[in-house]
Amino acid sequence: MQPILKIDLTRGETAEISAPPEWERHYLGGASLAARLLYPELVPDLVPLSEAAPLMILTGPLTGTAGPTVGRFVVCGRSPATGLWAESNCGGFWGPELRFCGYDGLWLTGRADRPVYLWLADGRLEVRQAQAVWGQDTYAAQETIRTEIGVPNARVLTIGPAGENGVLFAGLFCDHGRTAGRTGLGAVMGAKNLKAIAVKGTGKIPLASPEAFASLRGTANRMLKADNIAQVTHALGTAGVADYADYLGSMPKKYYHQATMDGVDKISGATMTETILKGFSTCHGCVIACGRVVDLGDGIRRKGPEYETAVGFGPNLLNDDLAEIVRLNEICDRYGMDTISASNTIGLAYHLYEKGLLSEAEVGFPLAWGDTQAAGRLLDLIARREAIGAFMADGARRFGAHFGAEQEAVQVNGLEVAYHDPRGVSGMALVYATSPRGACHNRSDYFFVDWGQAETSLGLEFLDRLGGAEKAANVARHQDWRTVCDSLVLCLFGNLPVEMVVDLVNAACGFGLSVTGLLQSGERAWNLKRAINNRLGLTQVNDRLPKTLLEPYADGPAAGYVPPLEAMLAAYYEARGWDRRTGRPGREKLQALGLADVAGDLWESG
Amino acid sequence: MAVRFPGPAWLESLQEKLNADEKYSQTARNWEGDMAVVIEPSGPLVETLVYYFDLWHGRCRSVAVLDDSSTVKAAFVLKAPYDHLVKILKGELDPMTAMMTRKLQVQGNLGVMMRNVPTVLEFVRCAKENTGEIL
Repeated sequence: MQPILKIDLTRGETAEISAPPEWERHYLGGASLAARLLYPELVPDLVPLSEAAPLMILTGPLTGTAGPTVGRFVVCGRSPATGLWAESNCGGFWGPELRFCGYDGLWLTGRADRPVYLWLADGRLEVRQAQAVWGQDTYAAQETIRTEIGVPNARVLTIGPAGENGVLFAGLFCDHGRTAGRTGLGAVMGAKNLKAIAVKGTGKIPLASPEAFASLRGTANRMLKADNIAQVTHALGTAGVADYADYLGSMPKKYYHQATMDGVDKISGATMTETILKGFSTCHGCVIACGRVVDLGDGIRRKGPEYETAVGFGPNLLNDDLAEIVRLNEICDRYGMDTISASNTIGLAYHLYEKGLLSEAEVGFPLAWGDTQAAGRLLDLIARREAIGAFMADGARRFGAHFGAEQEAVQVNGLEVAYHDPRGVSGMALVYATSPRGACHNRSDYFFVDWGQAETSLGLEFLDRLGGAEKAANVARHQDWRTVCDSLVLCLFGNLPVEMVVDLVNAACGFGLSVTGLLQSGERAWNLKRAINNRLGLTQVNDRLPKTLLEPYADGPAAGYVPPLEAMLAAYYEARGWDRRTGRPGREKLQALGLADVAGDLWESG
Repeated sequence: MAVRFPGPAWLESLQEKLNADEKYSQTARNWEGDMAVVIEPSGPLVETLVYYFDLWHGRCRSVAVLDDSSTVKAAFVLKAPYDHLVKILKGELDPMTAMMTRKLQVQGNLGVMMRNVPTVLEFVRCAKENTGEIL
């Protein structure tokens, strides 16, 4: 692999770091390699928004090739929202461009003494003053920096005002509205006085067997073009699944308190395609092009919402106006905030207001379900940390706690739950409860498996979507697979057989891995991230769901069902080889995965 | 009544089943569009079979065996190898799993399809219940 460029923003020093060759094979890259590299630094007294906190941006071994869905990179560190392991990946073209510069990653440490941005052109790094761009929104900042450096096709990864102001769900944005949104790493970047990183490279991506890779990626791209999921995602966007999610009862409404809603079909990807869609946007080398370009009638081309945003600012707030969802999405993008956490926290505000736990005097204006103007005002306040927004900017858990209602917040370990309800797809109960970064829907998008995407080549069975403990091993297996995807930083919508992925990895890296070996690398990294979190204070008590998700819906397709979480967790611990008493991976499990040093740290420290 | 698959008798029997099945009729009440099922050779099947269904508002108005898959002009086309289709009809392969794991290909207006997945699933249920002996 190419080196990682380590940049100390305090001292203005740089160094090239190379991972040990065995780590390349065992962790592949991306989030898994980042976890291994950052393991020594992620200790309990590390303050996420401090000068000492690391921020690592890594690509994967396929990133920037002509392979399928390989435009992504991942940002890692310690989350200021959860206090746990943080990772958030992002599409677009920035990751490939970094690799064209000759680096597979950036390792940022320290804090600049004033706002700066980085400009990396091939191997040449400049630290530039950013006072002029500090305070600009993410769309404007990208344009300003491109103009300032005089390279119109440079790729700019930036934070917005939310990241500058320490909003705990601030993200990093590039290529207009591509987002590393979750876990608040935009605030970590802002705490370093780092506004943006511009990159432009002219190099080539190293491949072990270029001819074999070219043949495989051609086949893979043709398979993707013919794939049903890819075709739906292209034609309708990721919100194309909204109708089916609603039909199965896995799309929450009214802050997870309502199973059905009149007019819910008005926010679906199908409706978007039939009404406001004007074009598509894509990431590097992707044949799917899930990104939406929409026009609300004013002639301005805007980003159309993906599924999570459509539901978060739609049915979650009892809103069925797609144009308003587009508007709220753009506000979040410009401020540089994650739409899942933002819409979840706003949903909590509406919920508390309805319950009388939050007053009009405390908010400053009334909150009514379906009122998107109020939601927009809240977004403004959150990004500026003003009035009620100062509390909401800390995320749902702390916002709820401030008003004596932490138990009402639909979050796990400080990360707000995404919009796949475990009362409609029960595998998500385990996914949310055990994800290394809180209630994440992507460390395993098991809702797809509960809908039917049960790949036999991964050893997955198709089990009842309202089942229980019998799917624990299935979930663990799928988490391992998605951890592989996160190490390669592959898009989860690239629905390719695992055999094809392992062939692509071997052709790119010259490894000779088997499917079993590939999945074991996922299991290794999953356990490593768990161990990091254990060392940061996570125990079995943290493997939980918010009370709302354990209360059955009275009506709708999943009426009366709640996932049997305790039984599922017991089976999951068994499948994982984890200690039920402490919540830690067992010593033997860690040793078997080649993590003897981690086993020593975890079990010999008591 | 379960009928031997494949064959014209199976096709005609399925038309009767669809028109008699109350749940299908209700679920598919808004469905507009004909559908072709292209059964590709595998296992004992040596030549492609194309079964055509004219589906309209919960009714199956007509069925036909088409001669040539290349001339299919239906609004929706479901395409699968014979072996996979047989597994679906036997209940050994879930139709959604088939669609999501590259075993059954769907062509047509995907917006309409995603809004009407329940209709497709009811259609498959009727086909399963209509199937007796298999080639």
